[in-house]
Amino acid sequence: MAQKNIAVSRLIPSEFFEPNLRLYSFIFLIAAASIALYLFPVGEFKGYIDPFYSPTILVLPLVGLYRLTCYAYRKDYNRHVFKHPVACPVYTRMDGPQRSYTGETSSLFKVENLHRYFLYSAIAILPFFYYDLVLSLMYSGGIILRIGSIVLAVNAVLITLYVFSCHSLRSLIGGRKDCFSCMANASGRKKFYDVQSGLNAHHEQIAWASLVFIVFTDLYMRALSAGIPLDHVIFHILKL
Amino acid sequence: MKAENKKEEGAKTGRTRKFKVYREDPTDGKGGEYQEFDVQVEEGMVVLDAITYISQRVDPTLAVRWNCKAARCGSCSAEINGVPRLMCKTRVDTIDGTITVGPMRAFPLVKDLVTDVSSNYEIEKLMPEFKPKEGISSPWRMNEMDVGRSQEFRKCIECFLCQDVCHVVRDHHAAYIGPRHVVKAASLDMHPLDTLDRSEWLTADGGLGYCNVTKCCQDVCPEHIKITDNAIIPEKERSADSLYDPIISLFRRFSKGKADRKQ
Ligand code: SF4
Ligand code: SF4
Ligand code: FES
Repeated sequence: MAQKNIAVSRLIPSEFFEPNLRLYSFIFLIAAASIALYLFPVGEFKGYIDPFYSPTILVLPLVGLYRLTCYAYRKDYNRHVFKHPVACPVYTRMDGPQRSYTGETSSLFKVENLHRYFLYSAIAILPFFYYDLVLSLMYSGGIILRIGSIVLAVNAVLITLYVFSCHSLRSLIGGRKDCFSCMANASGRKKFYDVQSGLNAHHEQIAWASLVFIVFTDLYMRALSAGIPLDHVIFHILKL
Repeated sequence: MKAENKKEEGAKTGRTRKFKVYREDPTDGKGGEYQEFDVQVEEGMVVLDAITYISQRVDPTLAVRWNCKAARCGSCSAEINGVPRLMCKTRVDTIDGTITVGPMRAFPLVKDLVTDVSSNYEIEKLMPEFKPKEGISSPWRMNEMDVGRSQEFRKCIECFLCQDVCHVVRDHHAAYIGPRHVVKAASLDMHPLDTLDRSEWLTADGGLGYCNVTKCCQDVCPEHIKITDNAIIPEKERSADSLYDPIISLFRRFSKGKADRKQ
């Protein structure tokens, strides 16, 4: 029995077999949201494209894996879903030697080491959010600024900040080097590293803000295409 | 000791605080328990003041270790209301209600509040040592932009609070060396004159993969070292370079093959 458990937990961590309501609801939520996004797509609406479909819903798994392997989300689900530990004070942590634990050494969680590849895909997808913003601004032929465009702009900026505060990016641009002064353009690269590190210190907050805002943007776009009159034109320059 | 009288008086003036202090002598095999003390507190008092007051005036058999009383020596580590902290840096007036003080549970108990942290010195001996570049002239010169990162880690006072709070070290795996030692490895790795990369060692022998980046260590560090952000995660990324990145390993194999052919 113990032997079998070890073999299984190398593949799937034993936490998945614990009676854990948080874990079940987490899995349920992700599954339900993915199915809903697939079954109820919102097409383009008056020049707006929902961020979940930009450029296409098919990239969603990549974006999802980027977030799932992100260090900020890892901290959060390890704490609040797997309860390893829920909190740091010893009385409230809900963790202890009675629970088995393999951390990030099980085959499943080793995927987290590939976070950088999901980062590359996230960087590749970034321009599409700005492209969609420009499309929404030029929808009428002239230039039109509507609340929806501001929503798309905030969303694009938050996602950009999220991607650029990534720990893997930090390693890539200098974290993995022991010597900055040995690199070409040393002071420029060190400055870039320092600015990025400053952003990186807020990676967790940015990760949450951008997640919440994507969902908000999606709901806003859905509300518009359902005919709820939320949108307003702020200014409109007709074609000259 | 007229504890009762003192309590009455304290309730009136609001200046007596209740302390629960862990008492155990492992050699007598009787187990341990929390003992209550009422201590008259003064403005600006820290928990260590109350504990030394008890050990000097109330019960001299209470074992406690401290040295500097200035958060520099790292010897007064304890669990205060369940949070690993330095007793000399924890002000009494920042805590409401009863103040519970116990030893660090991640280490074997010597007596009462004193634990044996020597396992850390054993771990330190396993760490690949500083290996400077060959042929550099002394005095060693380093560029200021290169020393900042490892300097942050040199603030460590070896209080081992991070080891104590880490759920892996405390509850799960002796295989993981723990946050303090990853900080040490990172301070050597990021040293501009060091030539080794300890990330592979950290993962293979140090059990770095057991850390799930939940950041309790970073939260308790009295020196405010960003343990997880600046030491653990960069080392995880470096070990992803050396162990898990398929393209880097292909590239390495390729350039190694080329080097072999050249020979
Ligand atoms: S971040 Fe890692 S090393 Fe620090 S307390 Fe959590 S599991 Fe332990
Ligand atoms: S890293 Fe911080 S918490 Fe850990 S031993 Fe050093 S000073 Fe103490
Ligand atoms: S007595 Fe030295 S750190 Fe507290």
